[in-house]
Amino acid sequence: MAAGLKTIIALSFVLAIGFLLVILSSALFHSYLTLLVVATYIIAPLPNWICGRCANPDDFMESAGSAVVDFGRFCTGFLVVMGVALPAFLAHCGLIAVPAMAMSIIGGLLIYGTIISFTMFFQEEQDF
Amino acid sequence: MTSSRLFRFPKPEWVNSPNTRTAGVYLAGALFSLGFFFFIDASTYSHSSKNGSNVHIKFVDWIPGICSALGMLVINSIEKTRLSADSYSYSGTGVAWKARLVLFLGFALMAGGLAGSVAVLVLKYIVPDYPFPTLYFGVANVVANGLIMLSSVVLWVSQNMEDDYTYNLAL
Repeated sequence: MAAGLKTIIALSFVLAIGFLLVILSSALFHSYLTLLVVATYIIAPLPNWICGRCANPDDFMESAGSAVVDFGRFCTGFLVVMGVALPAFLAHCGLIAVPAMAMSIIGGLLIYGTIISFTMFFQEEQDF
Repeated sequence: MTSSRLFRFPKPEWVNSPNTRTAGVYLAGALFSLGFFFFIDASTYSHSSKNGSNVHIKFVDWIPGICSALGMLVINSIEKTRLSADSYSYSGTGVAWKARLVLFLGFALMAGGLAGSVAVLVLKYIVPDYPFPTLYFGVANVVANGLIMLSSVVLWVSQNMEDDYTYNLAL
């Protein structure tokens, strides 16, 4: 079993640390704009999942399904970079402090890493 | 296949792998996002309290970015196989001609966006001789349009890579 109990416990710890960093970055500096990072990273894998369901993966010779999958990947790439770019430009424009930017970027990356590892483990469990 | 090669160095193996084109599509999205947020950053900065001058980003600055994004949409929604459709007999007449016309419109929109951003930079920011925090608005506009163009190039190349890959499988 790849997704053992220890893996799930470790991943939930990482997720909790990520949420802690993001919430601290907003609460310590009294500017709640950094919570947008959590929203961005939570909706980041959604286009991939939705477009993966829309396209039929069996007939890869048909190019109609590939465009939908590519659009989902494009949106996911957009959202992942948006999660880093959003705090950076908020800090550059003086809307949040620079330490809040660093904390929210690190926390957001931890949250997104947790989501990605969870989907990888679930996919590995499915195809036996 | 190897004897009809034009260059002395062979094409590396990883170019035709499906992982490379997946990474290319992700990279295209990332580049587009980077360009988009460069421009969002400039427009937010111009309306924040850090902006000392009374120059702001107006709708004129948005026009090149809108043109570039529309051009990218047009270029990448064309079915690439239709560009050489006239060499086959089963496709209708004039399909390749229409596809090339629409593709030309897309490239014209994108090049017009890049040129327009340079025009805005020169006419609005360099000619009145503004100092750097104001000049950054124009520079960010050019960088944003260049990144959108680069993203479109990466997307185009990685989609053509897919065609090579499926072609090899079909043989």
